[in-house]
Amino acid sequence: MVEISTGVSSIPTETQTTSGALRRLGKWLASDRIFPKIPFVMVEALFFLVILVPFILTIYISLLKWRANRPFEQAFFSGLENYRAVLESDLFWFALVRTFYFSGVAVAVELVVGFVLAMLVSQCTRSRKFYTTIFLVPMMIVPIVVGYNFSMIYIDSGPLNQLLAPLLQLFGIDPRIRWLSHPIAAQWAIIIADIWQWTSLTFLIFLSGFSALPQQLVNAARVMGATPWQVFWRVQFPLLKPAIVIAVIIRSMEALKMFDPVVLLTFGGPGTSTQTVAYFLWEQVWVFNKFSFGAAASILLLIMFSILIYIGIYMLIRQRSIVVGRAA
Amino acid sequence: MQRLLWALLALIAWSIPQAYADPVADRAVAAAKDYIKAKNLKDPKLTILLSSLYNNSFPDFAKKWEELTGVKFEIVPLGYTDIPAKIMQEGVAKTGVYDIFNDFPYTMPDAAGAKVVMPLDQYAAKYKPDFNGVADGLKYQQYYDGKLYIMVNDGDHLILVLRKDLVENPQARAEYKAKFGKDLGCPDTVDEWAQQAAFFQTKEGDTRWGIKFEKPLYGALGYRSVNFSHRHFPVYMKGLWFDKDMKPRINTPDGIAAIKAFAASVDHMPKDIQGWGTPQIYPFWGSGQAYSAMSFPSIVGFANSNPNSVIKGKQMTCLIPGQMIAGKLERRSPQAAGTGYMVSSYSKHPELAYLFVQWFTSPGVSDEAVAHPKGFWDPYRDAHVTNKAILDRFGEDMVKTTIENSKYAASLLLIEGNYEYFKILDNNLADVMNKNITAEEAAKRIEAGWNKVTSDVGRSTQIQIWRKGVELGIYLDKF
Repeated sequence: MVEISTGVSSIPTETQTTSGALRRLGKWLASDRIFPKIPFVMVEALFFLVILVPFILTIYISLLKWRANRPFEQAFFSGLENYRAVLESDLFWFALVRTFYFSGVAVAVELVVGFVLAMLVSQCTRSRKFYTTIFLVPMMIVPIVVGYNFSMIYIDSGPLNQLLAPLLQLFGIDPRIRWLSHPIAAQWAIIIADIWQWTSLTFLIFLSGFSALPQQLVNAARVMGATPWQVFWRVQFPLLKPAIVIAVIIRSMEALKMFDPVVLLTFGGPGTSTQTVAYFLWEQVWVFNKFSFGAAASILLLIMFSILIYIGIYMLIRQRSIVVGRAA
Repeated sequence: MQRLLWALLALIAWSIPQAYADPVADRAVAAAKDYIKAKNLKDPKLTILLSSLYNNSFPDFAKKWEELTGVKFEIVPLGYTDIPAKIMQEGVAKTGVYDIFNDFPYTMPDAAGAKVVMPLDQYAAKYKPDFNGVADGLKYQQYYDGKLYIMVNDGDHLILVLRKDLVENPQARAEYKAKFGKDLGCPDTVDEWAQQAAFFQTKEGDTRWGIKFEKPLYGALGYRSVNFSHRHFPVYMKGLWFDKDMKPRINTPDGIAAIKAFAASVDHMPKDIQGWGTPQIYPFWGSGQAYSAMSFPSIVGFANSNPNSVIKGKQMTCLIPGQMIAGKLERRSPQAAGTGYMVSSYSKHPELAYLFVQWFTSPGVSDEAVAHPKGFWDPYRDAHVTNKAILDRFGEDMVKTTIENSKYAASLLLIEGNYEYFKILDNNLADVMNKNITAEEAAKRIEAGWNKVTSDVGRSTQIQIWRKGVELGIYLDKF
């Protein structure tokens, strides 16, 4: 305790005691033994509160028999019953397959279109900023606005069908495509909306990849007489592989959670033909109140997607090490 | 002379409130004042989770309630599709932030099961609300498990509306009579409606009955999208969805016939109908491209008042078409969307919340609500057929038909887990409409799905609630 000499008494006041304690605490925290551990403790505390507690709670709920249309006090332990129910649910498996289908097609197209656009824009000099801004706009728009716009575009007498009509009539096809109410067309309607919005992201990743290419390697290849195709295929493309893997991982992770366009355009319909796993989970939990079933499905999905993401990250590390090895 | 004038003014001043006097509303106001005084409440406030449809009209009533009682209102508007989840979240979180929930009666079973809303019987016994002049099907939908949980001031049950100009077209009438041996007019049965729809279905560019159709004329309009099909299906189903032991009646000849008729109806509707809701159906009806529409009563007002409508004054409202059951015509008009008010179990002042609900649903105040120009409350009390403000707003023809139709108003399924039962039905109906599966396969799947939900929620509880509801008359049909 720090004592302040008043010349009259050496008894510390309450304020003096507090400030003294704070000073000692500050000194202790700043000590070589403690200070390096502070960030670690803070991260662990955050991890515990934000991730671990809800995660453990989710596991706990997944082991109960509980629909929210009964008070939680009436929930009872049911073991792995919910997991069995999820694995036996046709809707779950159909939704999962549909999600891979939607995300597979959407991500593949986004990668190709994003790559081509980035390649073209990277070759521009004066108009580069303009095109970059234009191509990034879709990503900036709030998903609900995108959904509303596409729902207007897709009406059977709407602009898309009007645009396609001359072409479709040439082949004798009815020009009124039921974009939102035909099971197959509705699936494509969602995929197209996703592609429109998220090609911007792959474009951005590839554009930064093109910008970071070592120009001396390209110049060297040209000096050595390589054709533009050889420069691209033998020099630029291999160097861009890490960017491609990053784009694949980021977009796949997002696409597997596809929810907004489904709710905004079709509400999972017609029937269940556009239900993704994210929509399936939302409906089971927030519409049907099957909280414990939803918790079990979430855990199973977490395991499945974690395996996929692990594979993706492994591929990324491998590609990077190959590129670094080549550069060395 | 001056005295006489003062006396006259005093008489007018006294008679105006008397003209609007409503003992049910007055009781609620007086009791609310007593409650505030007894509890010594400073700045009393109620919070309502309100369907955003009413965001432009409800505040007027909240303000009036505040003027009468001093109780302020905090209004939390939310899209009606999101309200059930919000109520169930409150059931888990128990925050007590809401006093009143505004939603459809069919949200009530899950909310009551979760005990997030409270039975209102004790308050109703004390303050005596008035349900006189409300048809049985509308009145009893306020009860769950034999207890009063929700109070409704909206008669949003389905009606049929036809194109009067086409029905009255002499050439069309003559051709129809020659073909079917019957005069054109409101169809008595669903089969007859389908027959009329087929008769009026006209291709783009055709000339019929002296009319050149620049655009195609569709025979019918109805709600056929997921989340809506189940609200129309009871029109097609002869009798109850389950027997007294909760065994589904869908996989029976009646059920299969209902699925077939429901799915076949899309042949005379716009191709994209399975993706349509009210924002698409109302304007399409107003554009004059359909002969008939089964919809909420407000479609008539929309087509009469919308500036883009080409069918103003050309509508004929009809009772819901029925089914012949044992040689007798039975009509069932599902109460597809009318909303009501529930009191939160976690409200700090449930009695005060109830008193507002009683005031708002009282005959006098609910009349004002139904007549409100920006409201979405539809006529539902017998007295509405003589209420000038309501007649001015909706038109005499529509009000009379709606009130007559309310005698056939039946509730949607009011048991726990009903949203899941509805979704199973909708999904399979969609599959049949898209010709992915047959009606027979759909019936089997629906039966299996419904049985699974019943077991999951608890068969004995479901049977008990189901029987009580049927016996009370919620669905009009009996075992």
